[in-house]
Amino acid sequence: MKRRLPLLLGLVLVPGQLACGKRPQTAAPNPPAPAAAPVTPAATASGPRPKTLLRGAVVMTAAGKIYERADVLLEGDQIVAVGPELAAPGDAKIVDLSGKTLTPGIIDTHSHIGVYAAPGLAAHADGNEAIAPNTAGVRAVDAYFPQDPQIDRARAGGITTMQILPGSANLFGGRSVTVRLTPGVRSAAEARFPGAPAGLKMACGENPKRVYGEKGGPQTRMGNVAGYRDAFQKASEYQRSWTRYRKDHAEWLAKKDKPEPPVIGDDYDDDEPKDGKVGKDGKPAKKKGDEPQPPAVDFALETIAGVLRGEILVHNHCYRADEMAIMLDLAATYGFKIRSFHHATDAYKIADKLAAAGTAASVWADWWGFKAESFDGIRENAALLTQAGARAIIHSDSAVGIQRLNQEAAKAMHAGRRAGIPVSDDQALRWITANPAWALGIDAKTGTLEPGKLADLVVWSGNPFSVYTIAEQVYIAGEQVYVRGSLEPRTDFELGYLPGDLERSTPPLATTNAGSTP
Amino acid sequence: MSTLSPRRGLCSCLVLAFVWALGAAPAAAAPAPTAVSTPARAGPVYLVGGELHVGDGTVIKDAVIAMDGGLFTIVGGPEARAKLLDESMAVDLKGKLITPGLFAAETQLGIVEIDLEGSTRDDSKASEHPVRAAYEAAAALNAESALIPIQAIDGVTSAAVVPTGGLISGQVAIIDLVYGDHRGLAAQPRAAISAHLGQAHAGSRAATLAKLREVLGDARGYPARRAAYDRAQSRELSAHPLDLEALQPIFKQQAVLTLSADRASDILAALDLARDFNLKITIVGGAEAWKVADLLARAKVPVILEPTLNIPGGFDSMGARLDNAALLHRAGVTVALLAPGGTHNLRSLPQGAGIAVAHGLPWEAALTAITLAPARAYGVERTHGSVAVGKVANLVVWSGDPFELSSAPTEVYVRGVKLRGTTRQNLLRDRYRDLKQFSRGNK
Repeated sequence: MKRRLPLLLGLVLVPGQLACGKRPQTAAPNPPAPAAAPVTPAATASGPRPKTLLRGAVVMTAAGKIYERADVLLEGDQIVAVGPELAAPGDAKIVDLSGKTLTPGIIDTHSHIGVYAAPGLAAHADGNEAIAPNTAGVRAVDAYFPQDPQIDRARAGGITTMQILPGSANLFGGRSVTVRLTPGVRSAAEARFPGAPAGLKMACGENPKRVYGEKGGPQTRMGNVAGYRDAFQKASEYQRSWTRYRKDHAEWLAKKDKPEPPVIGDDYDDDEPKDGKVGKDGKPAKKKGDEPQPPAVDFALETIAGVLRGEILVHNHCYRADEMAIMLDLAATYGFKIRSFHHATDAYKIADKLAAAGTAASVWADWWGFKAESFDGIRENAALLTQAGARAIIHSDSAVGIQRLNQEAAKAMHAGRRAGIPVSDDQALRWITANPAWALGIDAKTGTLEPGKLADLVVWSGNPFSVYTIAEQVYIAGEQVYVRGSLEPRTDFELGYLPGDLERSTPPLATTNAGSTP
Repeated sequence: MSTLSPRRGLCSCLVLAFVWALGAAPAAAAPAPTAVSTPARAGPVYLVGGELHVGDGTVIKDAVIAMDGGLFTIVGGPEARAKLLDESMAVDLKGKLITPGLFAAETQLGIVEIDLEGSTRDDSKASEHPVRAAYEAAAALNAESALIPIQAIDGVTSAAVVPTGGLISGQVAIIDLVYGDHRGLAAQPRAAISAHLGQAHAGSRAATLAKLREVLGDARGYPARRAAYDRAQSRELSAHPLDLEALQPIFKQQAVLTLSADRASDILAALDLARDFNLKITIVGGAEAWKVADLLARAKVPVILEPTLNIPGGFDSMGARLDNAALLHRAGVTVALLAPGGTHNLRSLPQGAGIAVAHGLPWEAALTAITLAPARAYGVERTHGSVAVGKVANLVVWSGDPFELSSAPTEVYVRGVKLRGTTRQNLLRDRYRDLKQFSRGNK
C-alpha cells in the first residue's frame, strides 16, 4: 500500500481545455461559431420549464447571506427565487428539505480527473505531455475520459463543476477545460461547461526543473523565467504579425472588395467542419489576385496570444512567494493577468500583492512539506488571504480531496479562527463556490444561490463544515444528478466488478442508479 | 523578530517564541498547547472531572487521572479521588472530553522531512537485496524534525515509524512525540517488521510469496544452523545472517509482521502465511479486507486501513469503499485507521475517524481505531493506546468532539508532560500576520 497523495501534487499534469475561446473578431468577417450547446434536458426542453421548490432548508447562498430556514425555487436550469416562505407555483414539484442545508454546487479549480483516470494504469496517464517545456498547444479536453470512476466519487461529494488541468511538468502545460459532472455523457464536449473560457496551465519552480533539467532545460529557476519571457515575447510578435495581416487584408479588401479572410484556429477551437476556404495543406486556400496571405498558425502561440488578448485565463502552479512575485511582474510587463496561482503554499506572505493584482490563490487547507517549495505551507493561508482582501480558493488537486472540499474549507476556516483571524461561514463557503467560479470565468452563471444563476446545488445532511455531514442530493443545471442511496450513477469501468453485478439481467442505465452496494 | 535556531537552546527559545506568539496574536487566539518536551522526569499531574474516553470503548464520567514518572498511576471514577495524595493539585476538567493520545500508524515521522528531497529521507535502505529485516527506522530518527511538534500539538502523541522499500523493509519503531529528545524518542525500537505482498518482489505476487516463504523458512531454521553457517558449513541462505537474526522475534510472536495487501486474494495469502509460520500479523492497506472480514476476525488479525479510500486506484483495489472500516468492525476485526494526510499531516487522524463514523463506524470504535487498535496492530497495547494504569501517560484534552473539524486539543500530555511552546508553522504564520513590516525593499 503506497501513499499516493503528496507525490502527485503538482506533478500531475494535464493538457488543456477546449477552447471555446473567442477568436480575434477584428477584421474577420466570419461569424463566431455558436457556443457549445447545453446538454441538460432541463435546458433544452422546449415545453414549459419544470419548476421545483426546495423548501425549508438552511440556505447558505455564498453571496453574503445565510438563511436559517428558506426556500429555493428552480425553473428549468435556473434559480429564480431564494428566500423564506416562497409561494409555491401551482405546477411546482415540492421537495421538503427540513433539517438539511443547501449550498451552491461545489467547484474545484484544480483537478486531473479524467486525464489521470482510475485505475491508475500506464494506459491512463494522459495528464501531462511532458515532451517539451512549452506544450501550450495541447488541450485537456482531448484527453478527458468521461468514464473515469473518479467523476462519480467527486459528484457524490457535491462537486458540480471542475477545471481539468494539464500537469505541471511544463512551463506551459496546455489548455485546461472546465467540465460539469453531468452523468451519462459520452464525450468531453458533452461535459464542457457551456461558455466557460479556456485556461492555460503554467508551472513555476521545481517541477519543470526536475523534468527537463537533464533534457535540455530549463534546469534552474532562471531557465524557467527565461522560458516564460521567450514565449510571451514570441506570442506578442505572433499577435503583431496577425494584426498586420488583418490590416493589410482589410486594405486589400477595401480595394478589391471581395472575399473573406480565413479565420485562424477555427477547427482547432471549435471542432467545426472545415469549409472550402481551407486548402489541402491546411493553409487557407489562395484567393485571387495578390490577396495578403495570413501568417502560419501556431497553436501554442495562439494559446499564449489568447492570454495576451484576455480570452484565456492563466492558472499558474506556483508555490513560493518570491516566484509568484516574479510572475506578477512578468504579467505586468506583457500586459496580461494571472487569474489564479495554484497550490501557492506561500501566498500568505504576499497576500497584499495578490489583492492588489486581482489574482486569486487556489490553496490547500493543510498540505505542506512534500517538496522544498511547499515547506512553508500553513493552515491559516486561506484565512490570511481573505483577511488581506485577496481572493482565496480551496482546491483539491486530488481525486480524494475533491470528494470533501467542504471539509477542507472547514479546516482552513477553523484554523484561521483559532489563530484569531475572522472568517465567516459565508466567506469559507465562497472558497469552494463563488471564488472558484470567478477563477474559471463562470461566476456570472454559477457559484452562488441567487436568482438568475444556474441551478447547481447541493443538499447536505447537515452543516457542510461538519466532518459527519454528507452530500445527499446534487443538482446540475436544474437536473437532479445524484441522490444518496437511490441515484448513484456509475461510469462504465466498474460495471461487472461490484458484487451482484453479474447476476443482473440488464445493465443499469448510465444516468440512473447504478445499483446497490452489497 | 528572533530567528530561532531549532538546534540551540531549544527549550528556552521555544518558550520565548511562545510568549512572542501570544503577544502578536489577537486576544481571541487561544493559547496553543505545544510540543516541546522537557527531557526532565515528569512530576505528578492530577486531572479530575472530565469525561474520559478510555480508548477501549469504555467511558468514565467525572474521571480521576493521575500521571507520574511518565505513566498513568491512577485511572478511575470519582471514587478514585481518595487515592490522590494532594487533591488541591488537581486540574479541574469538568465539561471537558479526554481521550488517549492519538496513535498514528504507518508513518515516516522523524525519518523523512521533505518527501522529494533524498537528503532528508532515511526511510529506505538503498539495496538490491529485497530483504532488509535488520534495517531499523529507530537508528535514523531525528527528534528535532519540524514535523513532530506540528502533529503533537494536534493530539498525536505516538507513531509507528515504518521503513519502506523492498520485500521486507525493516524494523518498525514506536515513538512518543517528545520533540528534541534524541535518546528518548523511541519507545520500542523493534515492535514490528514491515513486509509486503502483492507485486512487491520480482514483479509478481507469486514470486513475492515464494520469496517470503523461502526467507521465513531460512530464518526459522537459522538459530539451529547458526554455528554451521559461521563455519561455512551451511548452504547459501536467502538473506544476510543479520536479517535472519532480526526476524527471530516474529517466530516467538514477540514482534508483529505487518504485511501490506489490498486485494482480497493477497489478504488470504497473508492469513495462510501467518498460519503456516505461526506468526502474529497485521494487514496494512486492506482495501478489500471487507470481503474476507469473517476470516480476519477468526484469525484475530488487525487491519490498518485508509478511511477515505474509495477509488478503484488499481485492479488490486477494485473493491475499495468508504464503509470498509464499518464492515470490518461489525465482523469483529480490530480496525486501525491511517491519517488521510500522510506523515506531514498525521494531525488529520481525527478527521479520518470522523469520516469513518460518517460511513457507519460507531464513534467509540473510531476512537479505538486511532488509539488502542493501532497499538494492538503493532503489538504495543500493553504500554500504549489507552488510558490505563501502568501505560505511558499520553493524553489529550479536547475543546469539543475530537473528530469535529472545529475542535482542537486544549492540552496535550506526552509521557506525562504537558506540551508547551509552539510550531514552526505557527511562527511562520505570526511572522506574516502583518505584512506592513515587509515594506523595506524597492518599490
